[in-house]
Amino acid sequence: MEISALIARFDEMVDNALFWLGDHAAFLFDFFRVVLEGLYDGALWLLELPPFYVVALAAGLLGWRVVGRGFGLGIAVALLACAAMGLWPETMSTLALVIAASIIALAVSLPLGVLAGLMPRLDRALTPVLDLIQTLPPYIYLLPSIALLGYGPATALVATVIVAMPPAIRLTSLGIRQTPHEFIELGRATGVTPAQMFFKIRLPFAVPSIMAGINQSLMMAFGMVVIAGIVGSGGLGETIYGAIRTLDIATSIDASIAIVILTMMLDRLTQGAARPRKGARK
Amino acid sequence: MTLPTAFSPGAFLAPAIDWLNANFHPFFALVTRVIEAVLGAFEGALLALPPWALIAVVAVAAFLAINLRAAILAGCCLGFCWLTGLWTGSMQTIALVAVAVAISVAIAFPLGILAARRPAIEAALRPVLDIMQTVPPWVYLIPAVMIFSLGRVPAIIATIVYGIPPMLRLTTLAFRGVPKDLKELGEAIGAKPGTILWKIEFPAATPTLLVGLNQCILLSLAMVVLAGLVGAGGLGAEVTRGLTRMEMGLGLRAGLAIVAVALLMDRLSRGALQQGRRWRRPGAAG
Repeated sequence: MEISALIARFDEMVDNALFWLGDHAAFLFDFFRVVLEGLYDGALWLLELPPFYVVALAAGLLGWRVVGRGFGLGIAVALLACAAMGLWPETMSTLALVIAASIIALAVSLPLGVLAGLMPRLDRALTPVLDLIQTLPPYIYLLPSIALLGYGPATALVATVIVAMPPAIRLTSLGIRQTPHEFIELGRATGVTPAQMFFKIRLPFAVPSIMAGINQSLMMAFGMVVIAGIVGSGGLGETIYGAIRTLDIATSIDASIAIVILTMMLDRLTQGAARPRKGARK
Repeated sequence: MTLPTAFSPGAFLAPAIDWLNANFHPFFALVTRVIEAVLGAFEGALLALPPWALIAVVAVAAFLAINLRAAILAGCCLGFCWLTGLWTGSMQTIALVAVAVAISVAIAFPLGILAARRPAIEAALRPVLDIMQTVPPWVYLIPAVMIFSLGRVPAIIATIVYGIPPMLRLTTLAFRGVPKDLKELGEAIGAKPGTILWKIEFPAATPTLLVGLNQCILLSLAMVVLAGLVGAGGLGAEVTRGLTRMEMGLGLRAGLAIVAVALLMDRLSRGALQQGRRWRRPGAAG
């Protein structure tokens, strides 16, 4: 069969290319890995520094301030339950991964989204790329990163950042573009500088949309971090992966409960953070 | 650093699952057999023709249903799957997605219509859908694996459940968005409720319904690929093999084949969407 020969050639070429990259560009990927793992270790160190009840209490207070008393109490109890199930280190390393990935993703996508909002041409160039990223199943983003960065949290971070960027870019650019015309004209008429135009007029109108983008990015990041358990990211994803392969029902239920708790917490907290500001402005 | 008293809801639930497995085994076995039979038939049909013949059939169908561009795209995508040497895996993945989407739609469509008619049902469904859409896809696989063990059946069940929320939401939205005067017109000329539903509301709701279908397909594909981890076979299994054994050539080929399948499904369902708009326009004018 000619196809099988073609395939063998292809596989060989891929392997050779990866070897070549490993030989010649290792320092670059090592650098990336060190930076990414440093960020992750930093976040993890911060989260593991205080004992678990302090973290639960802090999260509870944050929930109370941002969402409401019942919710704050709920997440404090839920986090204590995570600790009681013996999954505290895993829960915190999952949270650290989400935080590290979201910081990188937002650091890239918020400025990019603002630029795309101001420059329609950039927006048009980005749209097909974002469409493609969102069309493909998130699972496959692990492939290039594991090939270049190897097994470990850095791979999980790269794949997570790719998945988390599109919603933030899209909604930021949408928010910037949706500034009401009257206000832009008002700004022009009163002769504001471009910087004032951006910070005092365009940005405030975009805040609700940007917050929605951050919320969606966080949720995408969370989904990906859990999947990334397969490449040795550590955390709840790896716990579940191990438990499923050995059909350990009790552990996999516990770990899924912990995942659902974390998801709800992040989702409601970011949604809650978006709401009051919107209300204050209108 | 954990609490001294071990607390594990899983340890309480595990016996319950064991009990279910022991006492409802005939039921689960029946479900497994039905799903395997349907999937097997579908896969058999896709694999019965040689690859070039199936590619030709799909391209011609896309040309007749949509346009030349869609036909070329469909041909290229499927041809690419063939060239990667993963034709069987691609067809398995497509069969899984097709069966899962069909069942998801069959469940979500009537529920969505009901939710559009009765606000109480919608109010009851909304928090459930909210939770379903925030929970990461991995979590869906776990209960399915517990009951149906590893293989294609848990994969398709998790996929069906995962595909329901977007379709249900957009069905509700679609039927809620049907202009009132159209429905009143139907009532005024004395049409039966069934006639109003199929001849008036359904055509008016088609564009939004197709958006729901597109989302349902893409989410199902993501889930089917992920389900390679629990032994669902298809392209997901190849990616998993590539990832865990570090066979990057294989992983890359499988990844690219998934890209081709995703593009094929997305563009074809979107093409159908544009076609739907075109049908609707003369209907709304006349």
